[in-house]
Amino acid sequence: MGAYLTRRFLLMALTLFGMSVLIFVMLRLVPGNIADILVDAAGIADPKEKAKIIAELGLDRPIVEQYGQWIGGLARGDLGFAYVSERPALEEIAPRIPISAKLAGMALVLSVLIGVPFGVISAVRQNTALDYVLRVISLSGLSLPAFWLGLLVLMASVHWFGTIPIYSNEPRSFLQEVGLLAIPAAVVGFRSSALVMRLTRSSMLEVLRQDYIRTARSKGASQASINYNHALRNALLPVVTIIGIEAAFLVGGLIVTETVFNIPGVARFLVEAILWRDYPIVQNLVMLIAFVVIMVNFLVDMAYMALDPRIKYAD
Amino acid sequence: MRTGLAFLAGTAVALMVAVSPALAQKQGGTLRISHRDNPPSASIHEEATISVNQPFMAVFNNLVFFDPKEKVNSPDKIVPDLAESWSWNPDLTRLTFKLRQGVKWHDGKPFSAKDVKCTWDALIGKGDEKSDLIRKNPRKVWYDNLKEVTADSDTEVTFTLGRPQPSFLSMLAAGYSPVYACHVSGRDMRSKPIGTGPFKVVDFKRNESIRLVRNPDYWKKGRPYLDAIDWKIVPNRSTRMLGFAAGEFDMTFDSDVTFPLLKDIKAQKADAVCEARPTNVSSNILINRDSPPFDKPEIRKAMVMALDNKVFSDILAQGNDLDGAAMLPPPAGFWGMPKEMLATIPGHATDVEKSRAEARKIMEGLGYSKDKPLKVKVATRNIAIYRDPAVLLIDQLKNIHIEGELEPIDTTVWYTKIQRKDYMIGMNLTGVGVDDPDVNFYENYFSKSDRNYTAYNNQEVDKLIDQQSAEQDREKRRKLVWEVEKNLAEDGARPIIGHNVANTCWDSKVKGVVLQHNSIYNGWRFEDVWLDR
Amino acid sequence: MANIDHNAELTRAGAYVTGSWSQIVFFARRYPLGAVGALIVLAFILTAVFASVMAPIDPTTTNARASLAKPGGFHLLGADFMGRDMYSRIVHGARISLAVGVGAMSLGCILGISIGLMSGYIGGWFDLATQRLMDIMQSLPLLVMAIVMAASLGPSLRNTIIAIAIPLVPSVARVVRSSTLSLREQPFVEAARAVGMGEFRIAVRHVLPNTLAPLIVLATAQLGSAILTEASLSFLGLGIPEPHPSWGRMLSESAAEYVRSAPWLVIFPGLAISLTVFGTNLLGDALRDILDPRERT
Repeated sequence: MGAYLTRRFLLMALTLFGMSVLIFVMLRLVPGNIADILVDAAGIADPKEKAKIIAELGLDRPIVEQYGQWIGGLARGDLGFAYVSERPALEEIAPRIPISAKLAGMALVLSVLIGVPFGVISAVRQNTALDYVLRVISLSGLSLPAFWLGLLVLMASVHWFGTIPIYSNEPRSFLQEVGLLAIPAAVVGFRSSALVMRLTRSSMLEVLRQDYIRTARSKGASQASINYNHALRNALLPVVTIIGIEAAFLVGGLIVTETVFNIPGVARFLVEAILWRDYPIVQNLVMLIAFVVIMVNFLVDMAYMALDPRIKYAD
Repeated sequence: MRTGLAFLAGTAVALMVAVSPALAQKQGGTLRISHRDNPPSASIHEEATISVNQPFMAVFNNLVFFDPKEKVNSPDKIVPDLAESWSWNPDLTRLTFKLRQGVKWHDGKPFSAKDVKCTWDALIGKGDEKSDLIRKNPRKVWYDNLKEVTADSDTEVTFTLGRPQPSFLSMLAAGYSPVYACHVSGRDMRSKPIGTGPFKVVDFKRNESIRLVRNPDYWKKGRPYLDAIDWKIVPNRSTRMLGFAAGEFDMTFDSDVTFPLLKDIKAQKADAVCEARPTNVSSNILINRDSPPFDKPEIRKAMVMALDNKVFSDILAQGNDLDGAAMLPPPAGFWGMPKEMLATIPGHATDVEKSRAEARKIMEGLGYSKDKPLKVKVATRNIAIYRDPAVLLIDQLKNIHIEGELEPIDTTVWYTKIQRKDYMIGMNLTGVGVDDPDVNFYENYFSKSDRNYTAYNNQEVDKLIDQQSAEQDREKRRKLVWEVEKNLAEDGARPIIGHNVANTCWDSKVKGVVLQHNSIYNGWRFEDVWLDR
Repeated sequence: MANIDHNAELTRAGAYVTGSWSQIVFFARRYPLGAVGALIVLAFILTAVFASVMAPIDPTTTNARASLAKPGGFHLLGADFMGRDMYSRIVHGARISLAVGVGAMSLGCILGISIGLMSGYIGGWFDLATQRLMDIMQSLPLLVMAIVMAASLGPSLRNTIIAIAIPLVPSVARVVRSSTLSLREQPFVEAARAVGMGEFRIAVRHVLPNTLAPLIVLATAQLGSAILTEASLSFLGLGIPEPHPSWGRMLSESAAEYVRSAPWLVIFPGLAISLTVFGTNLLGDALRDILDPRERT
C-alpha cells in the first residue's frame, strides 16, 4: 500500500509538472500578449510604449527564466501579480473560488438526489414504459447545451416573473445566496444528474444479475429488500466513481453557466483571463483545476478501494 | 425623416426634464448603474474608452470643463473647475490658470500646481523617466503643440504653446483631461485612483463591480448629493436590460439601449426616462491603400460608391443614425458640413442605385464580373458592434462584384494587425472625445498620429489641418474644416458609413442627469445627480 | 476464426442492416430508441448535405425590412437582427456542425488510434511517455482544454476542429491501447507473426479491426460531444466566426439580446443542437448494446 501511494503521488506530481509546462508554453503560443491588449484597449499601437510594458512585466526575458520564476513563486505560495488589475493574483482568484465551489457543490448534490433514485427505479423497472421515459429524459439531459438551458430558464423567468435573478456582489445572507445559486446550480446539475442516473441504472442492472442476488432471492428475501439492501449498496460503487469524475468535469458546465447568469466565479474568470492574456491568472487557475481533477481522481480511487464489495464480504 | 422624429422626441423628453419645476435636491442614496464590460484600467489618461470615462470621471476634476448643465459641449460654455480663472497672453500662446486653494486629494494631501505640471509633463513625455504614472498615452497628438508647463507658484500654472491653437482649452475641458495626483503611483491610478473629485473609489473588482462613495471633503460645498455610486459589470446586454427593467439598476450604461431594444424597455418600464443622442462614434471603413487590390484608386472609389448608408442605419439603428462626413453632422455637431455639400461627396449620394451602376461599370472595366468577382477579406474586431456592420458591408459589396469574407480579428491583436497593414479592408468604429476638428483630424488623419491606423499620409491635408487649427475666426475655420472633410472623403481616407445615435435610460427617480449631445465621453461627473426617493 | 466476425455478431444482435427492409424493421423493433436516433442522425446528415436545396435563401443575406421578423410567412423560423433568414441559417448550420463534429471526431480518432496502437504495440519508454502525456491532457476538463486550444489557434473552422479534436485524443488512445495490449499476446497474432507477417501489417490487419467495436461506440459518443463543445466554444466567442451560420454562435451575444422580444432566435438554434446531439446519443446507446454486449444497458 505504501509503495502504491508513493508511486501514485510521484505520478500526480509528474502530471502537475507536465501540465504546468504545457499551459505555460501554450499560453505563449497564443497570438498577442498583455502589452498588445493594454495598448490596444487604448486604441493605439505605439511600439515604444508596448516595449516598455513588456519589459516591466519581464515578458522579454528567456522563457525558461520566466517559467522558473513562476514555479519558484508557486512553490512559495506567491502567485505573482495579475497583469490587468495589477493586484496579487491570489487576491483576484481566492474570493472567486467559494462562489464556484458552492455552485458546483449544489449542482453535485442535486445530481445525486435526482440521479440515484431515478436510476434505481429505471433499473428495477427495466424495459417498462417508465424506464423508457426516464432514459429519454436522462439522455436529453446529456444533449442540452448548458448555456441554452440557462437562456431558456432566463426566458421563462422573464416571462413569468418579469425579472431575472442577478447575482449581487455580497449576498446579504446564506439563504439569499443559496436562492441565487439554486437555479444556475440546477442548470449545471441537470446534465450531471442524467449521467448519474444512467450509471446508477446500468450498475444496478449489473448487480441484479450477480450470483449473490440470486442466492438472496432463493433464500426468500423480498424483492424490495434485495433491491435496496443488496443491489443498491453495491451498485453505488461505480456511481461514486462517476460522481467524483463528474465533479471535476462540472467545470465545463460552470464556465458557460456563470457566463449566462453573470456569476463572478472562477470558471468564467478563467475564460476572461485567457481573452486578456493575463498569464498569471490563467496559469494558476489551470493548475488549480488540474490539481482538483487529479485529487478527485485519487480520492475516488481510494474510496473505491475502501468500499470494494469483495473486501467487505471477506470481513 | 424618422431620424428627425426620434431626435425631436428625444429633445422633447429632455426639455421636459429640464423645465420640470426645480425640486429641492435630496441628499443621499446609492445610484446603481450597469456597466457593459470590464474597464481595462481606472486611469482615464491611459485609456480611450467610455468604459473608463463614465465610471471614473467622478473621481477627478479638470482644470476647466464643459458646463455640465449644457447639452452641447461648446468652447463658449467652458466653466472653471480646479482652475478658478484663466487668461491668454496677447499672441495666444501662453495660457495661465489661477488654481483653487484648499483643495485636497482623497488621501488628504493638498492639491497644488505641481500636480498639474506633473500630469501634463507625463502626457508630453517630459515627466520623470522612472515614473510609471502614465505608461501609455493614446492622446499624444492632443498635446503636440504644448511645449511646456510651468508651475509659477503653488496656485498658478502656465501652459506654453508652439503656435496659437484655439481648440486647446476645449481639450483641457474634455472628460479625458483630469488632473492626476503626482504622489500616487501609476499602478494605484490604474487600480484604485486618487482624485480631487466628488466621489472616492472604494473598490474596483475586476469583471464584477466598481464602488464609489461620496467624498465628504469635496471642495464644492453641498456636493455631491449621492452617498454612493454602484457600478455592476454585466457583460451580457440582455441581462443589463432586464436588470434595468426589473429595477435592479437605476440607470443603463451610456448609449447601451439600441433602438430595437428601446421598445422592450418602454414596454416593461413605462416610466423610464430614455434619451436618444448622437454618440460621436462613427462606423467607418479602413482601407489598405498600399497594397493590391485597393492600391487602385478606381477600386477604392467604386467601393465607396456601393455603400448605402441608409441600410446600415435602418438595420443597426432603425434609421436613426446620422449621415455625415468626418465630423459629427449638424445640428448636434457644430463643425460637420451641411447636407447639400454632403450629397456631393462620394458615398453619400441620394440615388444609391445609380451610383452602384456606375461603380459596377468601373469594376467591369477592370475585368471583374458576377462570375469573376473580386475576392476580398473584410477584417474586423471580433465583437458584435463591429461585426454587425461588417456583415452588412459584405452584403452590399456583392452588388459591385466584390465577394467579401469576414475575417474576425481577436480584439487583442486588432490594431497591431491593422498597423502591420496585414489586411485589405477593415470595419472600424471611431469615437471622438470632443466635437472639435483638432481632436478628430489630428488623432485620425494626421500623418504623424499613432492612431492614424491606415497611415493615411496626404501632405495637402496635413497642411489644411494645421491651417484650420490655427484659425481664430470660427466661421472661416468652419469652411476650412469642410474643405478637409471633402478632401478626406474624395480620397477615400476612411469612408464614413454613419454617425451612431443611441439611447441612455434612467429611472424617473434619478434627477439631474444631463447627457451631452456631441460626446459620450464628457459630462459624467455625477455631482449634480440626485435620487428622489 | 481469429477475427471476430462482425457480420455474425450484428446478425446475432439482430442489427444486420444492409438494405433489406425487413431487417431494418427488425432493428427498429429491437432498438426503438436507437432507430429514432439513427433517423435523427440521418436527417441531420441529409440536411447538411442538401442544405442549399432545402434552404435556397443565402444564410448570410441581410435585409433591413426583415430585421427580427416573426416566424411564419416568408421567414418560416423568423429572421435575426440583421434580417437573415433563421430557417436558412439553421439548415446551413447543420453543415458547420457536421463538419466540426465529423472533422474533430475523425481527427481525434486518427491521432488517438495511432498513438494508442503505437503505445500498446511498442510499449516500453514510448508507452510510458505517451501515457503520462495523456494523463496531463486528461487533467483538464474537455471544455477548458478546448478553450485554451481555441484561444491559441484563433477563430476559424479549421482551428475549431483542431481545438476540439486534441482533447478527444486521450480517451481514444486509452481504449485502443488497452485492446492492443490484450490482443498482442493472442494466439492469432502470434500465428501471424510466426508466418512472417510484418509488425506494422499485424497491427493494422489484425489488431486494429478487433478494437473496432469499442471504438465505434466511443466515436459516436464523441461526435455528440464534439458538436456540443463547438456550440459552447462558439457561444463563448471562441469557435466558428461570423458570418458562418454556427448554431452556437447564433445563441451568443446578439441573439441573447433579444430573449424577450425575439425568443425564436434563442429557441430554434438551441433545439437544433439538442436534437442532433440527442440523436447521436440515442444511436450511440443502441450501438453500444449491439457491439459491446458486456456493457449492455
